[in-house]
Amino acid sequence: MISGFQVSEGSKMKPKEKDVLDYLPHSVQVFLNEAGEITRFAIRFFKQVLGPPYEFKETARQSFDIGYRSLPLIGITAFIIGLVLTLQSRPTLAEFGAESWLPSMVGISIIREIGPVVFALICAGKIGSSIGAELGSMKVTEQIDAMEVSGTNPFKYIVVTRIISTTLTIPILIVIGDAIALYGSYLAVNIRASVSFTLFFKQVFESLQFSDAIPALIKTFFFGFAIGLVGCYKGYNSKKGTEGVGRSANSAVVVSSLMVFLLDLIAVQITQFFGFL
Amino acid sequence: MTQYQNITPVPVIEIQSLVKSFGDNHVLRNYSLTINQSENIVVLGKSGCGKSVLIKCIVGLLPYEGGSLRVFGQEVSKLTQIELDEIRARIGFVFQSSALYDSMTVRENLEFPLRRHGKHKTRAEIDEMVKETLENVGLLNAINLMPSELSGGMRKRIGLARALILHPEVMLYDEPTTGLDPITSREIINLMLDVQKKYNTTSIIISHDMNCAKLTANKLSVMVDGINYMEGSFDEVSNAKDQKVHPFFE
Repeated sequence: MISGFQVSEGSKMKPKEKDVLDYLPHSVQVFLNEAGEITRFAIRFFKQVLGPPYEFKETARQSFDIGYRSLPLIGITAFIIGLVLTLQSRPTLAEFGAESWLPSMVGISIIREIGPVVFALICAGKIGSSIGAELGSMKVTEQIDAMEVSGTNPFKYIVVTRIISTTLTIPILIVIGDAIALYGSYLAVNIRASVSFTLFFKQVFESLQFSDAIPALIKTFFFGFAIGLVGCYKGYNSKKGTEGVGRSANSAVVVSSLMVFLLDLIAVQITQFFGFL
Repeated sequence: MTQYQNITPVPVIEIQSLVKSFGDNHVLRNYSLTINQSENIVVLGKSGCGKSVLIKCIVGLLPYEGGSLRVFGQEVSKLTQIELDEIRARIGFVFQSSALYDSMTVRENLEFPLRRHGKHKTRAEIDEMVKETLENVGLLNAINLMPSELSGGMRKRIGLARALILHPEVMLYDEPTTGLDPITSREIINLMLDVQKKYNTTSIIISHDMNCAKLTANKLSVMVDGINYMEGSFDEVSNAKDQKVHPFFE
């Protein structure tokens, strides 16, 4: 009979040798661990995205859901941003007698930086949280397990389709947002002056170059990828029941927003390096 | 001996010394159990003792660290993804939470495994199978409803219908009557018995509902501390004086 807990000679624990990571603060260790896990998740995505079976129908459904349902929010915020930016820039430019530069200035600002970053942040809030909550809920209610038992690769059906959808639809949403913001700006210009639609957009596009538009467009694909990746990662690894679903949605927004800023910073450095700025 | 008793039992699921841990939490420690064809086994045990983990290991949802787990004669841990999917097509899994896909209607929920496992089926065949299975669980009128529009009992029935649609040889029930009122519980139990009779399925039922165990089990297995602590008919186990088993029947 075992009378009390016995520890054999062999099981005596040797003090664990500390490695470099153990000397870092706990928060840094958590951050590095999370970054490593997201990277692993991304590698898993790339491994599975090219191989069959191809979930075209589900990808199309997700793209429609993500794009169509976000369009009203992007449209309204884009219109207001264009309007407000123009109204607030006018007095400053008027001081220097440079009111005629207003379309060019607003066009460059929106297409190069404000549009991609602001609309990506809105998408991170709306799409990232929705994916995080949906997948988190699927995880805690065993829907992902049920899918696997039904002979479906849940990673491919749920994660791969959503990441592809965000990567493809968020750039489209941003381009549409840019166009609506410029239209808002055109209306704002016409509050105090009378500028024709053709003249306004001629001035906008004359000042724009491919080196403004193309890097800005390219980075939106990365924003879309990051938002889908983080939303899926957080939802797919959701724990602790319904509380975990809320946490997944919340941290999906926080992390994907941070990723948008980080990717924007990297994009600026790259474009500077290649002489686009 | 009767002619029936001379028939050699055909083992469908053979579990030998199964080990499964989550970090330092050793859930299954040398768990062994054999389930023969057409048997209905109820696995009893305290909440969190590893009953659900056991059936998730059987369908390959969770990997195990040691021992042997053979389903239809094949070691689960050694199966390729395709082989595992073939085995899964022969097993119906009724989840504790029903696990209906929230974004799909009842019809789409039932079509999902058919489209995945039975890709050669035509639209008309799929439609017929969905309607027939829903009729079997008495919910044909719910075919176009969303899961959010269903009651707890209806969700369980639809979960059962989805598990049944491929006419599986083995049914795994994870707490099928938990959270249901006595009348609905009885309806689900009757449905399980009908399924067993109609399709001659082999079943593992995870439950701590004694009424469910009494009505459905040919055999009971009591899981204590990750092992198959006691095994026998309902009467044998319920009359046992063992301190760890008796409280289940009080």
